[in-house]
Amino acid sequence: MVRSGLTAAGLLAPASAVVAVGLVLPLVLLFRYSLNRFVPGQFMVEALTAENYVRFAADPYYLAILRTTILMAVGVTLVCLVLAFPVAMVLARARGRWKTVLLLAVVLPLFVGNAVRAAGWMVAFGQRGVVGSLMEAAQLPPVTLMYTPFAVFVGILSVNLPFVVLTLSSVLEGIDERASEAALSLGATPAAAWRLVTLPLSLPGVLAAGVLCFILTMNAYATPVLLGGPRFRMMAPTVAGEVLQQSNWPFGAAISFVLMAVTLALTAGANILVARRHRG
Amino acid sequence: MTPPFTRRTALGALAGAGAASALPSLGGRALAAPSGQIVVGTWGGDYQNLQQAHIADPLMKPMGVQVVFDTGNDTVRKTKLMAERRLPRGSLDLAALTASGSYEMWKNGALEEIDETKVPNLRNALPQLKTKYSAPHIYTGRVILYNPKLVRTPPTSYADLWAPENAGKVGVIDIQYQTTIESAALVNGGALNDYEPGKAKLLELKNAGVKIYPTNEAMAQALKTEEVAVCIMWRARGVQWRAAGIPVEIVYPKEGVVLYVSELAVPKNARNKEAAYAYLNALLDPRPQAAFARSFGYTPTVANATVDPDVAPQVEFTPELRSRFMLQDQEYLAKNDAQLQEWWNKVFKA
Repeated sequence: MVRSGLTAAGLLAPASAVVAVGLVLPLVLLFRYSLNRFVPGQFMVEALTAENYVRFAADPYYLAILRTTILMAVGVTLVCLVLAFPVAMVLARARGRWKTVLLLAVVLPLFVGNAVRAAGWMVAFGQRGVVGSLMEAAQLPPVTLMYTPFAVFVGILSVNLPFVVLTLSSVLEGIDERASEAALSLGATPAAAWRLVTLPLSLPGVLAAGVLCFILTMNAYATPVLLGGPRFRMMAPTVAGEVLQQSNWPFGAAISFVLMAVTLALTAGANILVARRHRG
Repeated sequence: MTPPFTRRTALGALAGAGAASALPSLGGRALAAPSGQIVVGTWGGDYQNLQQAHIADPLMKPMGVQVVFDTGNDTVRKTKLMAERRLPRGSLDLAALTASGSYEMWKNGALEEIDETKVPNLRNALPQLKTKYSAPHIYTGRVILYNPKLVRTPPTSYADLWAPENAGKVGVIDIQYQTTIESAALVNGGALNDYEPGKAKLLELKNAGVKIYPTNEAMAQALKTEEVAVCIMWRARGVQWRAAGIPVEIVYPKEGVVLYVSELAVPKNARNKEAAYAYLNALLDPRPQAAFARSFGYTPTVANATVDPDVAPQVEFTPELRSRFMLQDQEYLAKNDAQLQEWWNKVFKA
């Protein structure tokens, strides 16, 4: 017993050390920074104050940024799940070479970086872009797509979709097809069989995929910056703006912690909600 | 064949053997001469490429100094300098900064006071660009750019951006918030130490339908597609954009020509100060200065640089224009930049 305990500890030690040094320590340091004071021209002044958090909570400007971010994350997650579910079902049921081709088609977009994909959307959405030219050719009135929340929505959706499809399909693969076949043989319509059998069985996968997509959107940086333009604000670019443009580390750190806390709370909330449903 | 036994290999061998006692025999001069590696924190793109081609390769390499570039934006560099300020050895030997940036870093004790004896070329630098803590590398002035096809009356003052005939034709750049507020202040009773009157003036521009672009490059694109017909810009950018076929004319506003200076400074905790000073001196050498003017459109900071006659009209300033030069008040900006940016984000862009 003691031996195996020691072995386990030994095996866990390197990973724990990496996490402690690479994640926990910087977070502790960042938290300490968030309690410091920012004095223009002097940068960070040592202090022990909650004023950065108060400033965030008391200013409608920052609260609106948080609201935009949460709305974007919830919206993208819901649409992603709806779009990804059928794809994941096809992927889960496919066999042989066909499956490899499908899998590759889902994974390939991940080979192109986030920022590069956003740059691609910029070409599509720009004033003289692909979409604009097509609309002009079809003699439709011009619409502004670039630098709109819609552009950001589409951009993040395209980034997150492969992750959601892959997560869902791996869970769907584990579900015994005979369960839904049994429902069908007992007279359920395909829609009813999906609603009463497949969906409840895949709920843990839906939760995992949704949480992944939600977290990715809450922390999105490149897409909002490149496609949202100067007037659109989300949390991660705001953190970067405070730290990199204004050199206001304390406030940037405080915003990071607000973002982290809100993301954690909402994720935990969704978990509890789904767990309860699942049990019931 | 054995490799030639030079001073550098000798030093390396000595250091390797730990024979410190043998060092004095090499003489004080050998130790003080620039050698080894330096890390130059700089903007990327052409700015870095030109330093490589005209400073690092032809001037530093023959001295035995190897130059490594640490590419990034000045905001990142400032953050790095601040974060490393208390360490005995920093990661940069030189930092390229804007005039405001180097002032801020100097005020925060992150920069070395320049030893002019080690940078002899500094004596040729334009006096108004010199500081105690940096070497001016290139400079330009702020102007108005306009598209003559879309703007019938050529502007002469920043106030013309508010002319009714230009409503809806004006663009501003997000990252140029400071200079935009400043230009507005200059036509609304403000000054270089008081940007406050610029805020109300800018809100008028907002109501007239101003377009906001995230970067200089996005503005260039908007001028090209004629989404925008007038903007405030640095002359060097105007020169670059004209060369790229963007249909703009350059106007020097009657309020004055406010300067942009790109500087290089030595952090207090630089590892290789001798080589850093040598780099500063090479930076001010007339040859790379002329090369930067030709390729980049910025103006040399030293009086003895000869710019080729075909580029001179675009990069040099006439004595008349020089008499209208204005320098930003760095003390004011250090104290007010954060609040100006906050106003820009929360009120102007809202």
